[in-house]
Amino acid sequence: MAGTIVEGRNVTDNRTLAPDFCIIGSGAAGGVCALKLTEAGFDVLVLEEGINIPQDDGPAPGQKRKMLNEREVDMYKLLYQEGGTRLSKNGAIKIMQGRCLGGGTAVNWSACLPPRLETLDEWQKRGLPFTRQNLDPYLHEVVNYLGVVRNDKYNTSARKFMHGCARHDIAAENLPNNTKKCRECGSCGVGCPYDRKMSGFVKWLHDAFILGANIYTDTKVDRLVSTADTISEVQAHFIDQKSRPTKRKLVVKPAKGVVLAAGAIGTPGILMRSGLDLDGRVGKFTHIHPITMTIGQYPEKTFPAYGVPDNMWTPKFGNGPTGYLIETGSFFPVMSASSTLQHGDELHRIMRDYYATGAISYAHHTTGFDDKEKYGTVELDINGDPELDYKIPQANLNPMRESVVMMARIHLAAGATSVYVMRNPPLEVKSDADFGEIRKIDFTRPQSASIFTVHVMGGCQMNKNEKRRCVNNDFTFRDKTNLWVTDGSIFPTALGANPQITIYSLALWASREICERHQRPFEFNHQGGDLPWPHY
Amino acid sequence: MAALLTPALNAAANPKDRSEVTQTKFDCLSRKTALILFAVAEAVLGEGFLKKAPRFIETVDDFLNYQRPAQRDQFLFALLIAETTFGLTIGGQFQCFSHLSIEDRRKILEKLRSSNINLRRNIYAAFVNVSASTYYASDLTWPDLGYAGVSVDHPEILNQPPPIPWRPEDGRPIEK
Repeated sequence: MAGTIVEGRNVTDNRTLAPDFCIIGSGAAGGVCALKLTEAGFDVLVLEEGINIPQDDGPAPGQKRKMLNEREVDMYKLLYQEGGTRLSKNGAIKIMQGRCLGGGTAVNWSACLPPRLETLDEWQKRGLPFTRQNLDPYLHEVVNYLGVVRNDKYNTSARKFMHGCARHDIAAENLPNNTKKCRECGSCGVGCPYDRKMSGFVKWLHDAFILGANIYTDTKVDRLVSTADTISEVQAHFIDQKSRPTKRKLVVKPAKGVVLAAGAIGTPGILMRSGLDLDGRVGKFTHIHPITMTIGQYPEKTFPAYGVPDNMWTPKFGNGPTGYLIETGSFFPVMSASSTLQHGDELHRIMRDYYATGAISYAHHTTGFDDKEKYGTVELDINGDPELDYKIPQANLNPMRESVVMMARIHLAAGATSVYVMRNPPLEVKSDADFGEIRKIDFTRPQSASIFTVHVMGGCQMNKNEKRRCVNNDFTFRDKTNLWVTDGSIFPTALGANPQITIYSLALWASREICERHQRPFEFNHQGGDLPWPHY
Repeated sequence: MAALLTPALNAAANPKDRSEVTQTKFDCLSRKTALILFAVAEAVLGEGFLKKAPRFIETVDDFLNYQRPAQRDQFLFALLIAETTFGLTIGGQFQCFSHLSIEDRRKILEKLRSSNINLRRNIYAAFVNVSASTYYASDLTWPDLGYAGVSVDHPEILNQPPPIPWRPEDGRPIEK
């Protein structure tokens, strides 16, 4: 029998529930665990802080989710942490993280890359059990279940990128997506209204729900209550449509355990609020992939919002502890305007000049491999909400400059007449002679450039080093025998690749550990075939 | 610090009244902070910006609900600091920010942008990001950019026959 989805904003009483497992967070890790634990016969309850995204046909042909209207102004506030305005503590880095049913899977650009092999090697040195070989069945399960495809319908940004890369003899490759018959609206980042992206609420959570999992949305977890080596209670409250507490509470008393999957800022935040900070270890060594971005201006209209956003990349610069992956995307008015660092007539000129004829490329930068660096720290603010204190590491400074130079070079080779670099003050690059200006940008100085991240990892890491370890190799949280941490917070370093597939795979592994502990079946149901990444 | 100083700054703030700001009920802003926000946005976006973004104030007010409360308080504090101190400390004039001409407000923005003090650059970024992103969220600004809008409102974007404009070299029909 199917489960229920309860929207916390509509709950008018205080409630106490007693499932087998309480899963906190419905993103990539929470969705996987919900399905696999429900398949294993457990009574599963998922708590999600963000809103429900109900299946409800909209007025547009093929629209399956009426509330997903593609409008940035509505979707950022409803689907993202802090209304899409989450910043690092020093204000320097915009942190885009999902907060809705499906979490990051609802708002990511559907890029599907495997874990970087050299990252897995690094993790093994830190005592983690994952290898390319032993992850293989998990990767197959994820890829086949989601139907990851090599979609070769390229938008203008991707085409310009391919052209520019060819001129410089740089390998540009297809980047697989978890989409099915994509309609090319370009709106992955604000939620697919057509259910063509295989988000958590289309796949994992949907299937878990059909099998009986119960889901509460608009439900913010306050703390976990511990007794000796177990978690006895999860305390939460409901929030209204404007994210304010409704004064109604939820208490969950799980019979078998708690799965923490609230993301690499949310998970440490809950642990710290619960007094489970392991003498200050929790929240430390949090990593991001800082993003640098460029927009090329071309002689013709480019329609930059439309088309598959993220199916073209180059791995050429991705190796090493500070390597970077250049990918292409789609872009929209609000996203563009919030990155210009401009005012007055220049703001409007840049918006006009670079929007209608613009093509975008951006680079995710790898961090986290230097054991002497502190990287980021998740802290609690004055109200007990988590925030990330992060400064761009010095080791990433030159790679960030070089990624901008390389993206500008590719744009110019593709025929761009000018390349907009989101420096403060803004920089328009028209030839190689301008690259010297890029190499002067101090990305470590807040507001010297617009810097984003959409990938936050670590903060509750798996590690053989006792001084750093928060999570054991079976995904349990140190001495708590019924608390599992299954999201990207367990990463000891940044991944160096879009993390969706890796988080899914490790959450599958964690689900198997939980099932084995309780002597319940764990089955792979989608094996066989080739993985969609050549040479992997 | 913001919590301690906000009441005093709020009492000291006397922003220029603007007939364009018609709202009287807010979730997070007050009448005073709404007027300061208007003055900031006018400096960032130019005179008459409400013509193309008529719901500007309501949109920012609504967005503030979703911000982390500590961050929201910092933004409101920045508005009050700007109004009560920037005219003198940055602009060198004995006038509050909202009473300055657009040109003088823009000079202050320029000084914030190039300041060696992180906090001032952060305030610059917050002011221009909030103003610019809220303005360009409005449909009425999209024709200036050549943006045709979202597919659920304009299904023809996805359904027109090939060649689809954002795939100029690819004549294949999209998958049904």
